[in-house]
Amino acid sequence: MIEATGLTKVYGDKTAVDGVSFTVQAGHVTGFLGPNGAGKSTTMRMIMGLDRPTSGSVTVNGVPFAQHAAPLREIGSLLDAKAVHTGRTAYNHLLVMAATHRIPRKRVQEVIDMTGLGEVSKKKVKGFSLGMGQRLGIAAALLGDPQTIILDEPVNGLDPEGVVWVRNLVKYLASEGRTVFLSSHLMSEMALTADHLIVIGRGRIIADAPIGEIITGKGQSRARVRTDQPQQLMRLLAADGVSVEVQDHELLEVTGLPPREIARTALDNRIMVYELTPLQASLEEAYMELTKDEVEYHSLITTGASAPARTGGNR
Amino acid sequence: MSTAALQSRRPEDKVGPGPGFPRVLHSEFIKFRTLLSTLILVASTVLVMVGFAALNAWGVGQFSEASKSDRQAAAAFAAQGADLTSGIPTSGIAFAQLIMGSLAVLLMSSEFTTGMARSTFSAVPKRTPAFVAKLLVVTVCAFVVTVASSFLAYLAASPILENYGFDIDLGTEHSRRLLLVSGIYVAAVAAIGMSLGTLLRNSAGGIMSLVGLFFVVPIAFQLIPGEFFEEARKYLPDNLFQRIIASAPAEGALEVWQASTWLGVWVVVPLVAAMAALKQRDV
Repeated sequence: MIEATGLTKVYGDKTAVDGVSFTVQAGHVTGFLGPNGAGKSTTMRMIMGLDRPTSGSVTVNGVPFAQHAAPLREIGSLLDAKAVHTGRTAYNHLLVMAATHRIPRKRVQEVIDMTGLGEVSKKKVKGFSLGMGQRLGIAAALLGDPQTIILDEPVNGLDPEGVVWVRNLVKYLASEGRTVFLSSHLMSEMALTADHLIVIGRGRIIADAPIGEIITGKGQSRARVRTDQPQQLMRLLAADGVSVEVQDHELLEVTGLPPREIARTALDNRIMVYELTPLQASLEEAYMELTKDEVEYHSLITTGASAPARTGGNR
Repeated sequence: MSTAALQSRRPEDKVGPGPGFPRVLHSEFIKFRTLLSTLILVASTVLVMVGFAALNAWGVGQFSEASKSDRQAAAAFAAQGADLTSGIPTSGIAFAQLIMGSLAVLLMSSEFTTGMARSTFSAVPKRTPAFVAKLLVVTVCAFVVTVASSFLAYLAASPILENYGFDIDLGTEHSRRLLLVSGIYVAAVAAIGMSLGTLLRNSAGGIMSLVGLFFVVPIAFQLIPGEFFEEARKYLPDNLFQRIIASAPAEGALEVWQASTWLGVWVVVPLVAAMAALKQRDV
């Protein structure tokens, strides 16, 4: 189990991680999802004690990482595909890691076989493809047979076969009761792998819920509305928790209001509606919707008027 | 392992050996021997030491030959004193210190430039044991390589000197001291190099700083007139080493114990700074 409390990391004048609190439970695959630069890697480095939090704390199985008696046997991590001296062979790299915890050579060979590195294990990491580098990183993470596994963008650069392999591996590890925490910026990948999602954007947690809940948008209903008076309807629908987006000339997308309410508002105000379609969010859309505010907030500051047209009382 | 067993495992339970110092030391030794660059630099040191000794032996021989027929050369030869040969096995030391120092810089800076540091300090999150282990591997290696290559240099130079009727006696007090001090000195330079590599985290920067300290600064101090620089020059590591091995010290020179202490300061201060920085900084 990983527990973060008020975790904050400030680099100069940039707050990379901003008071993040979450719990990663054992026995599940927990996805850590967010756009690039959202603070995923920084958070993971803080879990591993590599970066010192500006404030807040994080523990693994109740203890800060650095205080574990045998860290590699407690937490395995893939933080950076090539956290390896590229002049060393894959086998020797794993041997170096194993030696610190007196992990036998037999285990080194085991993780090499497990990750399919057999043929290249005696070759220098310098010549490795991104995918092979990932496999080596995963091999290193598994070396100590740890209870907790942290993987930063594990499927990056893997071929389709490798992606499926990672997916099955993390599910299997979680099924054994281990804590699995993996990050990605791809919602589609998370949808197939994770049971639980923690979504981060611009250093803050946007959502922390089982994957099913995130897909249904926590009960937020969405509907597509076509009307010949979009401006009027938009104004009438605007309320707290409702957002209306102009998608096309006479096409609106309304979030946070059930279709019945939209129809009633239109009827009461004698606005003709010629399409009203309830929408089931796709995963990708749910993710975009979740992280949009964070991204939009950013572009409003930098580009001002050129931000997408959007009204609503939620901001 | 069953799910229940895994879930019930508490951190304080025995999970197998952790990163105790002997294990970290073993790991650092594997790191050291599994890089080609290490082996190349060690081999270069041996080559330079042996090569310089051979050249020097030949030079001394030529010089003594010349002095037999040339009165001017004879006078110069006599001015060198009786002991011409004891310094030959360690005559390549100026280059050995630079190569081994650079090796020490590289071993640390490459951890950061390659990202290996993230693996290293995930396995040894307390960080200091990994630093001390690497320091031990690097300094012991520097010492052993220096002493061993000096011995090889002696083996190479002896037959050349014999041609001219000289010999080197490694058994004398002075020779043994020279060998020992040279080994310790190169180990000290390696320690300084490792501190530089840790503080700068950059290979080129670390090596250039080392070159600056051991080659540029001494020459600059010599060229700048003024008593201050003449006095300050005595405290540069290279000059401290020269003082420790000198059999006939110049007037106003430091005592051997003073020179040794100052050399110790040159090693310890950067090491303390490097360890503090390593502990404090993000990887």
